[in-house]
Amino acid sequence: MVTHQYSDRIVEAFVGEYASGKSEMAINRAIELRKLGHKVTLVDLDTVEPFYTLRPLKELLEEQDLHIISFSTKESFGLGETGAMLNPRARWALMNEGDIILDIGYGVYGAKTLNLVEGAEESLELKVMAVFNYSRPMTNSLDKIIEYIKDLGRVDAIVANTHLGNETTLDIIIKGNNEIIKAGQELNIPIAYIAIDKVLYDEAKDYNFALPVKYIERYMPNAMW
Amino acid sequence: MPNVIGETKKAFITGNEAVAWATLAAGADIMFGYPITPQNEVMHYWTRLAPKHGRGFLQTEDEISAGFTVCGAVQAGKKAFTATAGPGNVLMQEPFGMAEAMRLPLVAIIQQRGGPSSGTVIYSQQEVTLTTFGGNGEGHRIVYSTATHQEMYDYTIKAFNSAWKYRFPTFVLGDGYQAKMREPLEMYNPEEKGLEIVKPFPLVGLDGHIGDNREPQHLCNIYSMEEELYEVVLDFVKDYNAIIPEVAEYQAQQCEDAEIIILTHGVVSRAADDAVKILRSQGIKAGSFRPITLRPFPTNDLRNVIANSKAKTMLIAESAYGQLDRLVKQEIYGETIKIENLFMPGVGIIDYDIISKVKSII
Repeated sequence: MVTHQYSDRIVEAFVGEYASGKSEMAINRAIELRKLGHKVTLVDLDTVEPFYTLRPLKELLEEQDLHIISFSTKESFGLGETGAMLNPRARWALMNEGDIILDIGYGVYGAKTLNLVEGAEESLELKVMAVFNYSRPMTNSLDKIIEYIKDLGRVDAIVANTHLGNETTLDIIIKGNNEIIKAGQELNIPIAYIAIDKVLYDEAKDYNFALPVKYIERYMPNAMW
Repeated sequence: MPNVIGETKKAFITGNEAVAWATLAAGADIMFGYPITPQNEVMHYWTRLAPKHGRGFLQTEDEISAGFTVCGAVQAGKKAFTATAGPGNVLMQEPFGMAEAMRLPLVAIIQQRGGPSSGTVIYSQQEVTLTTFGGNGEGHRIVYSTATHQEMYDYTIKAFNSAWKYRFPTFVLGDGYQAKMREPLEMYNPEEKGLEIVKPFPLVGLDGHIGDNREPQHLCNIYSMEEELYEVVLDFVKDYNAIIPEVAEYQAQQCEDAEIIILTHGVVSRAADDAVKILRSQGIKAGSFRPITLRPFPTNDLRNVIANSKAKTMLIAESAYGQLDRLVKQEIYGETIKIENLFMPGVGIIDYDIISKVKSII
């Protein structure tokens, strides 16, 4: 199979533990790239729960001029509980022009669904980003994070996304992300950036994280199913 | 009890995960389950946790079997539980009935989805009738309706205690929103909070000799004569009525000076609490009442709240078409407070829905 290579485009797949922030990171990244003037396709590749992830936000994101590959509420009407489902447009997502951001289904098994995307294996552009939140009980120690990354398979970079919803403090962010950073160092995987809710900008702006920080908007709390 | 939680700290967690951790903290020995959305992560999570803590799991061939294997395990003295939803809850009514008949300390987590039938995989409050009075018995069950992740955690632990203390099948009634939603939760080891964990005990294979040094265990779900069954059921009624004062729980807020009482349960009560705050800020005196136990229902408490309130109207709001409404009306028969309804079967109710309804009726 011939894979089209766009050398200057960005192709990123967000993987990680259930509720680690994959969708949030993917949405924020897609919007960031769109604001830079890139053409962006955002792909919902959650085959197990296609009705829980980007669906409620699809129209809102399309208003921001993103190309979204996901089932909308209207499209999913009448499908019922069909089990694991792959949107055909998601399978061929890498054939789209421009930047591609993939929001992958949860956990170690979710990460394996990347195999379903045509050309993912051969792609020289694809970067697999593993998202970690230290407040998630299955990844709340250095050992657990290291073990988890090993189980995930291919990981090119880590996103440190420690938070505690509305109860997030700078202290929680720093302490948790430090352990995630240590895990990256131990496995020789770079930390792409630290993600912090933009509502905490004033508290966080003067702290020296020694790594890139992205202030993100939380879209998922508005995703009422 | 071993410390399974580690250091008490807040975690960012889904409701299903909160349940799985709570069952672990409560000392559950084994889960029997069959997959159905939206409870799947209770199973997924339990199967990740159980091997690390020497606990068991069996995926059975269907929900009927999952329920009956729980019935079997608890007779062997094991703290066992299951989790299900929707059509799975329907299928489990037969084993739940057996648990009523044999007074088995069965624990089941119900994460309500839309109905009838397979309905939706998402959310509803349409399993109230089924969970409280499903089966061909008299509804001798304990049903806790939770509203937050903290409550899912707290009441799952409590459910095991109630089941083993009173020996009535006990249910934690959540819903798909609570199951999937993420919020901060403080997970703790029950002992650290001074909570006593009721120890399980075998119901069969007991020491001693019947007639010499112990009475026989009557674990029956079928009787040859109707008079026998009649006596047994009347004994259940007596035992059940006796525990109501200890078991029934509710929350009431600002009902005394209220013009209107908003009665809800489960996750909808969070919308009701927000609605009360907003209505009061707009000069409308609203109060809220929330049964935490749907069985036994806090009947006397609700009657007292109505008697001590200025309210002439009560709004019953639910994500079902009248299941809570029917339950309340049968419990408070004879009260003259006017009852209005907001029925939104299978969809979420937010503060705005309640506020609009209140403004349209007062």
